[in-house]
Amino acid sequence: MDVSDLLRAGASKQKSIQVEKGIPLDIDIAYLTATDPNPMDEEEYKNEREEYLHSMARENAQLLINHLFSLPVTSSPDGPIAQLPPPTTSLPRAKPLPKPKPPTRWEKFAAAKGIQKKRRENKVWDEEKQVFRDRWGRGGKNKELEEQWLVEVPQNAPMDYDPVKEARDAKTKRIAKNEGQRLKNIQRAARAKSSTSQLNPGQEREKLKVQLDRDLAQTRVSTASMGKFDKKFEGEAKLRGVKRQFDPNEKSVEAEKATSLAIMSKLDTGRPSKRSKGDNDDVLNVRKAIRHESRKGGQPRRDSQGRVKRK
Amino acid sequence: MLRVVKPKNARSKRAMLAREPQEVEPPKTCIFVKGTSTGERLNGVLKDLMSLKRPNAVSFSKKNAVHPFESTDSFTFWSQKNDASLFLVGTHSKKRPHDLTFIRMYDYRVLEMLELGVEAYTPMSAFSGRKPPPGHRPLMTFDSPLFDTHPRFQQVKSLLLDLFNGAEIDAICLAGLEHVVQVSLAPPPPGFTNESTSSAELPLIHVRCYAMRFLASGQRTPRVELEPIGPSLDVSLRRSSPADEDLWRQATKRRKMEKRDVEHGLGKKRKNLAVDEGGDLIGRVHVGKQDLGKLQGRKVKALKEERTKRRKVDHDEEEEE
Repeated sequence: MDVSDLLRAGASKQKSIQVEKGIPLDIDIAYLTATDPNPMDEEEYKNEREEYLHSMARENAQLLINHLFSLPVTSSPDGPIAQLPPPTTSLPRAKPLPKPKPPTRWEKFAAAKGIQKKRRENKVWDEEKQVFRDRWGRGGKNKELEEQWLVEVPQNAPMDYDPVKEARDAKTKRIAKNEGQRLKNIQRAARAKSSTSQLNPGQEREKLKVQLDRDLAQTRVSTASMGKFDKKFEGEAKLRGVKRQFDPNEKSVEAEKATSLAIMSKLDTGRPSKRSKGDNDDVLNVRKAIRHESRKGGQPRRDSQGRVKRK
Repeated sequence: MLRVVKPKNARSKRAMLAREPQEVEPPKTCIFVKGTSTGERLNGVLKDLMSLKRPNAVSFSKKNAVHPFESTDSFTFWSQKNDASLFLVGTHSKKRPHDLTFIRMYDYRVLEMLELGVEAYTPMSAFSGRKPPPGHRPLMTFDSPLFDTHPRFQQVKSLLLDLFNGAEIDAICLAGLEHVVQVSLAPPPPGFTNESTSSAELPLIHVRCYAMRFLASGQRTPRVELEPIGPSLDVSLRRSSPADEDLWRQATKRRKMEKRDVEHGLGKKRKNLAVDEGGDLIGRVHVGKQDLGKLQGRKVKALKEERTKRRKVDHDEEEEE
């Protein structure tokens, strides 16, 4: 039996999915969106606006659907699921990108040493009881010492030695230490955050670079031979110390005047110098004065051999 | 500013974590704010747009004395309180009747604002078409070249797109496509150029919604038929405050994701997966409680049903036949 005629007749009843467009649509399929760059037909818009908008919407929706149905599909109980590519339009986010968590002191150290993070299982094998027990928590292994019914008292223990209290105190101390470290990590992260916000990325980078150079120089002289017998790398620059600079003994009157005036202006401001720390306004360093006075009256200073030091 | 809260239990901690910035963001929540005196038209517009935006929508239906272009303090506060980053504000005054303001927030700050005047409106209830259930994503068409070239209309497109289709998804169920939102422009007036910005020179914007019907086409791709469902809005552009360039650049910043991350669900946390020492991926599956009643024990003769009994029954049946 030839069914091609029947098929053709059926197909002629079905409407086409083809749409003719002068300029192809700009489709961002990740957002299910099409932008039609074709200009509007003003005549039709004026005469029957709603019909015209309706037909335009149908055509563009059909084009979007054609595009959607051509995408790779996975099947699911609710129907085919089309896999979408990433979007091309950029829409603003609601919140900034999440910042990476600042590393703790241990994490920094581990990274520098190349220590891998190992997951510690909660269950520990108990040799005596031949079972797995929790490391901490109810019936945890960390309470073993406190819960022992018989404890060996050390030879030199005082009379009121309480082994249970001793063990419990040690545990509490460990917990307190850990908490302190945690808080310090938080503080350090906050400080780092506040300090970074004042500099722009370029300055930040420059500062880091200088710090890194300084650290490297320090490590190079930090071996037993002060870097003398260390393996040299190719292209490694020679270490240079700080070069001291002195003003010439004789210089022009102008220059001398300028230096003197600079000193004078510093004296005039009444600002505390960098060296005098904190809030003491007076010129006298009280602590130093007391130290000085007390030494005068008391024993003379002696050096390591026990000889009296002279000024 | 809201006070800083430290979570007291695991549930509130999870809720606070969900509010923190995420690599792949959840859909934006929109707050629909009613001003002090909104007429029937604006109320209807807010209600209809909200029904299209649900479930990521919050209604502020009391009278709110807000003037977005004068002070944005309330929006900053509401945004933090509700964790919402879009606002649609309806206000009505003699000078600016039927005023609809879009506000987009970034990092709980106002990023940009756009004021529209609702010139004509037909509510959803006036159409008989099948309304889309909440949570379905519409197809969107922007039918004018101006949506790509003119800065004011680019803003309109960006805001409407963000309102209805903003969330990034990597797959969509084709059977769940329900409706189309069409945004088109009236033909531009005679003196219109790409530089003209005054409201009188800009063409009207038509927003129409249609329900989709799929008909057989003899191919895999179906034929689409549309039926209007409303709301149908004709809006004109009024004031706008575009986004600060720096802030916009910050807001559109994307972290370049590794291919592996993209393949494994776009930066979402992978739970119950581990790689063992041999490099094999191991998953942990919760299988429920085992029914020990059905457990097959050792097969011992003594535990078996008596054979002779069974045979006897068989014989009896045969004899009957």
